[in-house]
Amino acid sequence: MLAVAVFWVMAVLAVLGGLGVIVSRQPIRSILSLVVVMLALSVLFLLLSAQFVFAVQVIVYAGAVMVLFLFVVALLGPVRERAGGRLRFQWWLGSLVGVVFGGFIYSMLQGAHFRPPQRTDLSVFGTVQEIGLGIFTRFLYPFELTSVLLLVAAVGAIYLSRGGRAGAGRGAAAADGGQARREEEPHA
Amino acid sequence: MPDYGQIAIGGGTLSSSWFLGLAAILFTLGAIGVLIRRNPLVILVCIELMLNAANLTLITFSRQLQDLDGQLFALMAMTVAAAEAVVGLAILVDISRVRELEDVDELDELKG
Repeated sequence: MLAVAVFWVMAVLAVLGGLGVIVSRQPIRSILSLVVVMLALSVLFLLLSAQFVFAVQVIVYAGAVMVLFLFVVALLGPVRERAGGRLRFQWWLGSLVGVVFGGFIYSMLQGAHFRPPQRTDLSVFGTVQEIGLGIFTRFLYPFELTSVLLLVAAVGAIYLSRGGRAGAGRGAAAADGGQARREEEPHA
Repeated sequence: MPDYGQIAIGGGTLSSSWFLGLAAILFTLGAIGVLIRRNPLVILVCIELMLNAANLTLITFSRQLQDLDGQLFALMAMTVAAAEAVVGLAILVDISRVRELEDVDELDELKG
């Protein structure tokens, strides 16, 4: 019964956090609500015997990625959303689409039949050993591809974040673009 | 026909449908957030919320089928989400040098 209680507490916490993400006016509150959602989901991962994914979720996701978001908020300063937008009825139409979408997912879950499980050994299910065995045998090719993806993302992020400034080793075309941009923008 | 959706955890049993329903609620909240919010940073946060809901679905099915592939897929999805967040935030910082970042509806031209 403890597992059921833990599930409901964490589910309510996650839904409240999700509501907080979309209703709070300041971006920093949205981000901190997302951290709440991620921590609640990590406990659910632990319930579903995914120990390694739990650790990755807490350390990488709630730790690193969210700190990145907070850094960007600190860099850009507090940006408040203005009351009126350019699109009329955006709020109502968005909510309507969301509710219809949720109804579709709910009706799909109603008629769900589950396949029988494979009856593996649950005492080692989801441990680091099993995950490593899966990553380095059956999933070796996707695993290497994700490392290439991370490299591309890192190089792209560095290139984009240097875009507005003159620096050593930049191409002539990029330097011209930076020159034109600086002329438009006196305080840069 | 037995109900294979029941998952025995500790002393009790939990239904897979509860986890899937929670994931559906969170995904729908994220989708609503992308549609109704206008701050680009908050839109990125809502995309992260949707990715997390998808991860919960993957891990639920992994446990229900007792197949480890779902957890490995979830790890790959986390990598993709991290890369997406890094590139998206870098684009936001680059845009914010040129103009104010208040409303994504104002970013409707390719020329910076």
